[in-house]
Amino acid sequence: MLNTPAPYILLGLVLYFLTYRFYARWVDKKIWETDPNRPTPSRLYFDGVEYFPVSKYVLFGYQFKSVAALGPIVGPLTAVLFFGWLPALLWVIFGNMFIGWAQDYSAMMMSVRNEGRSMGPITYKLLGDRARKILLVYLIFYLIIITAVFEWVIIDVLNRVPGTFTATLFVLFGGVIFGQLIFRMRMDVLLATLVALLIVLVGYFTVALIPAAQWPTTNFLDSPGFFTQYGFDPKLTYPGTFTVAFWLLVLSILYYIAATTPMPKFLLPTVYVGYLPSIIALVLVLLAALVTPITGLTIQQQAVKNLYVDPMANPQGGPVWPILFVTIACGAISGWHSLVSSGLTSKQLEYETDALPVGGGAMFTEGAVALSSIAAVMVLSQPPAGAAAYVQGASLLTTKMLQVPPIYMNILYGIFVTVMGLITSMLFVRVFRLIMAELFEDSPLGNKYISPIVLLIVAGFLAFVGSWTNLWVFFGGTNQLLAGLALLLIAIYLASIKKPSWYTLIPGVFMAITTLAALAWETYVYLLYALQNKPIGVQAAVAKLYGGAVVQISNFLSAAFGALLLVLGAVMTYYLFAGVARYRQKQ
Amino acid sequence: MGILDRIREVVEGLTVHGQSTAILKVKAQIDNLFMIITVGDMLGVPILPPYYSLRLLPYVFPNIQNWKRYMLRERDFTDLVT
Repeated sequence: MLNTPAPYILLGLVLYFLTYRFYARWVDKKIWETDPNRPTPSRLYFDGVEYFPVSKYVLFGYQFKSVAALGPIVGPLTAVLFFGWLPALLWVIFGNMFIGWAQDYSAMMMSVRNEGRSMGPITYKLLGDRARKILLVYLIFYLIIITAVFEWVIIDVLNRVPGTFTATLFVLFGGVIFGQLIFRMRMDVLLATLVALLIVLVGYFTVALIPAAQWPTTNFLDSPGFFTQYGFDPKLTYPGTFTVAFWLLVLSILYYIAATTPMPKFLLPTVYVGYLPSIIALVLVLLAALVTPITGLTIQQQAVKNLYVDPMANPQGGPVWPILFVTIACGAISGWHSLVSSGLTSKQLEYETDALPVGGGAMFTEGAVALSSIAAVMVLSQPPAGAAAYVQGASLLTTKMLQVPPIYMNILYGIFVTVMGLITSMLFVRVFRLIMAELFEDSPLGNKYISPIVLLIVAGFLAFVGSWTNLWVFFGGTNQLLAGLALLLIAIYLASIKKPSWYTLIPGVFMAITTLAALAWETYVYLLYALQNKPIGVQAAVAKLYGGAVVQISNFLSAAFGALLLVLGAVMTYYLFAGVARYRQKQ
Repeated sequence: MGILDRIREVVEGLTVHGQSTAILKVKAQIDNLFMIITVGDMLGVPILPPYYSLRLLPYVFPNIQNWKRYMLRERDFTDLVT
């Protein structure tokens, strides 16, 4: 029993439940003193567009959908591969228990008590205009890095799980048809959903049953001789290859369409149709992890692999502190959630007392997704690198549970990872375009058709030269620092209204210090490699194909990114610490 | 509320809620344009002669308060995330 993932996943779920039942409710009642009779922004400023009361169950689903994407899947599996499953498990459980839910819930409550304002105006109100501008620049870099990271994750799965592309095309086609049926032909939503699902299923079974549909094959644009010449494994994805360039082009076209067409035509129906198989995949893998004592799958990974990895020997690693805490971002805590919580959700809460089940509940559910991702990798004896490990592990777990041929689950999880990555990346590119339009109104950079190209070129270059794991740490660093900043901002707000702020202040200080240390570490690693003109990990392929100078330039660029983020983060942290001191003194 | 209703609402939130809110925003933007054209002088944007605005007033009256709040509300880049 103890050699299966089930007891550890169950332990995590029980601890989440107890935290929700006791600690979270105590904070809700004693610190925020939520009152169902106090009017919320949805009732005070009802406009039927953004501000209107919505049931807590609907909002819970919406909040979960908005916060859970590839983050709680890729982060935990990467951490398991670096450090072993025990450190990853402990951070996902305790990070969520003491930091994750506290941020999501408190950001939502802070917004509810501030007329439904989002993080930007609250930062402006408490800390001034400079702090808000730093937050804006930070968000732009965050979007560039996360787009690059997700591009690489999707490409890796598309390349290594043949058939995923064809099945994903059917999902996208189903989305477009759904949009046309709803908006052009005014068809009933249920009927249109059934048509879209039928298209998705046709794609799924076509790929599963017809081997010819499992196209394109791994590294289809590169000759096998290329791999033998350099001693590469032809089953892996290498940056700089023609295949990667092809997939980058395909993704860029999709993102561009999503960013420039009206939302109801492409993005919204695609998100809707894409999410339907994803819900099934998520539920299945969690159930499969819990029944491992019956299916007989045992833990194959070491509990603790490394606590320190020499960056010159294995550049993806580093010391367990701070790297583990930024490698696993979503699932334990994520700064993105504070933006979602203070965005639409806080404007639509019907009662103040709904904030805990919606904000806290969605975060704990995301923690369960992260636990299932850890379970998926735990049962693999020789997991492949990257998100393909999740596809392999999740399909192994579910295949054993459902007793179906592995190809069915392989395709399901291939679609799941690809579609989740696509959906979120399309939204990120769109948000980037909107922010650029706000910032550069009259300049070409603010143009609807030009700004997405800027993002796609920069992110595409970073993905093409393939330092995705290190970029993942940068993404984790920016994301987690955003979380630290949000927690400190909440502490300032609580101090300003004379309430105890320790429960967000202590995690906020921890997250700020940890993430600044992680950003400093990663900048140092990039700089070290750039100065020594050495490729990082899979960048060796790019160095052999295009020469060391390309890799060196990319590493200098990444080091510059890191240094900039570090300086911005440090300045913002200084503002927040000064703010905390000022407001606590007043208190 | 029964368990099936709760599940139905969670699925609604997971799937169509974001979509319907986004569509409402698009509709509101079109409505707002109409309001600016017809009674824009209330915000200092005179487009139609006041005679026509007055003729239209009974029809647009129920929307005026929400429209003013929507148009004059503080907007920020962090609002664009959702």
